Amino acid sequence: MATLSDTPPQDDAPTAVLRAKGVSLGFSGTTILQGVDLDVQPREFVAVVGASGVGKSTLLRALAGLISPRKGKVEIPAGNSPDTRAWSMVFQAPRLFPWRRVRANVELGLEGLSLSKAQRRERALEPLALVGLDEYAERWPHTLSGGQQQRVGIARALAVRPRVLFMDEPFSALDAITRRRLQNELVDLRRRSDAAIVFVTHDIEEAVLLADRVLVLGGGTDDAPAGMRDVIEVALPQEERREQAGFTECVQRIEGLIGTSAADDAP
Amino acid sequence: MSRLSRPRRLSISALGLAGFIALWEASLRAGLLPGNLVPLPSTIPGVFWAEIADGIWFEVVRSSLSHYAVGVAIGSLLGITVGVGAALVPTFNALHAWLARLLRPIPPLAWIPFAIIWFGVNPTAAAFIISIGVFWINYFTSYSAVRAVDPGYDEVAIAFGQQRFVDRLAKVSLPAAAPGILGGLRAGLGQGWMTVVAAELFGIPGIGQRMMEASGLLATDIVVVYMLTIAGLYALFDALFMVVQRRMLRWQP
Ligand SMILES: Nc1ncnc2c1ncn2[C@@H]1O[C@H](COP(=O)(O)OP(=O)(O)OP(=O)(O)O)[C@@H](O)[C@H]1O
Ligand SMILES: [Mg+2]
Repeated sequence: MATLSDTPPQDDAPTAVLRAKGVSLGFSGTTILQGVDLDVQPREFVAVVGASGVGKSTLLRALAGLISPRKGKVEIPAGNSPDTRAWSMVFQAPRLFPWRRVRANVELGLEGLSLSKAQRRERALEPLALVGLDEYAERWPHTLSGGQQQRVGIARALAVRPRVLFMDEPFSALDAITRRRLQNELVDLRRRSDAAIVFVTHDIEEAVLLADRVLVLGGGTDDAPAGMRDVIEVALPQEERREQAGFTECVQRIEGLIGTSAADDAP
Repeated sequence: MSRLSRPRRLSISALGLAGFIALWEASLRAGLLPGNLVPLPSTIPGVFWAEIADGIWFEVVRSSLSHYAVGVAIGSLLGITVGVGAALVPTFNALHAWLARLLRPIPPLAWIPFAIIWFGVNPTAAAFIISIGVFWINYFTSYSAVRAVDPGYDEVAIAFGQQRFVDRLAKVSLPAAAPGILGGLRAGLGQGWMTVVAAELFGIPGIGQRMMEASGLLATDIVVVYMLTIAGLYALFDALFMVVQRRMLRWQP
């Protein structure tokens, strides 16, 4: 039995929930992205930005372990609780299973965890309520709007109580009004969830609006793969971020980083 | 094309059928068709009743149904299993691909000699022949249905901890391919009836054998009674299947 004094000190040495070191990614002959280092702390929100085709989605898949990196190491320390998963993902398209009702879709990740049927049901309804869709639990996915389906996708990912939540441009397919609303919901949701979030987007304002840190990818040329341009700390309070003085400045700085090629800041 | 309202469509269809029968009856009575080759429609109900009263109708229908049920069940089950297996397991697919290509063009009825040599002139032989045609329909439709499943669903399943093959088979491949697989099953139900009669023409008791007997006696009215019987049974099975199918696919828009 562990006593209190045996517990390692946690406050001054928070253990990263995700560690990536020297990650290179590619398909068949070519390397598309190289040298990505990233440590994600508990409850941290990291946005990943970069031009289309730079390898954001591929990086996210590699961080999640859905594909293996060409070089380097990715580690998501396993948790020890039998009723949660280390990570889960919100995909760009909601990709709900049309043959399952909304609640059964949210239960997908809970199947195989040590939960009874009743517990699974309860654990699915909880995040559905969080995204405001508990009323829709028994509906078929095709009877939901695109924004509602995306919210079910978020509920499905939250249901497993992940330590790392990966989100791949979750709002990019939505209209501006719905996107704005879901962005606000996500800010809200962070207060109620313990998950660290790795959020891919090509929308720099969205990244600065939501994230604690922004990982900027870019610098690829015809004969050199892209890489990490910089990691920007967003030192702005979470409330009403858009209206803060530093907001536009931060967005512009990232835009500048993406726009320039690696050769430009070579000494 | 302009659309007809449902009652209007139904009444036009009924009119078409009734018109055909009336024309048939009239041409026979007018001597335009040879009466010894074509039966008079108005005599059919009486002949039908006689077949039922003799107990012959129930006997042959029962026996055909048993061939049909066994043949369709075995053919469908094997066809779906092999088709889904081929779609999901590349090695298995490669292993049997040439064999399938070789056997596929052989019509079910071409297996009759083997069926009789292997099983004799008995119900097993009939069920075997029926199962062959049903097998191929189910094999090809379920193979293509599973192949057409969006691989994105598999990625979702894996991302949510469903790594095991059986989990993804039950939670992704089968439900996602269900519309196609059920379509194949339904086509197989129809294909089964086509081979039932042919398989029984060789003396295996059933509707086919009864029709053969009747044609030997030039009893064309009895032949027509059993043609209608097959049409009726097919319609019944198809309607029942549609009910099940609609229930299983109620998630579809
Ligand atoms: N399965 C694949 N096979 C070969 N190349 C691929 C594959 N998937 C992606 N790529 C290539 O890898 C590069 C990165 O793709 P990725 O989808 O990660 O880009 P992205 O940054 O997410 O772009 P977007 O913002 O448009 O979604 C692209 O050049 C793409 O063509
Ligand atoms: Mg992408």
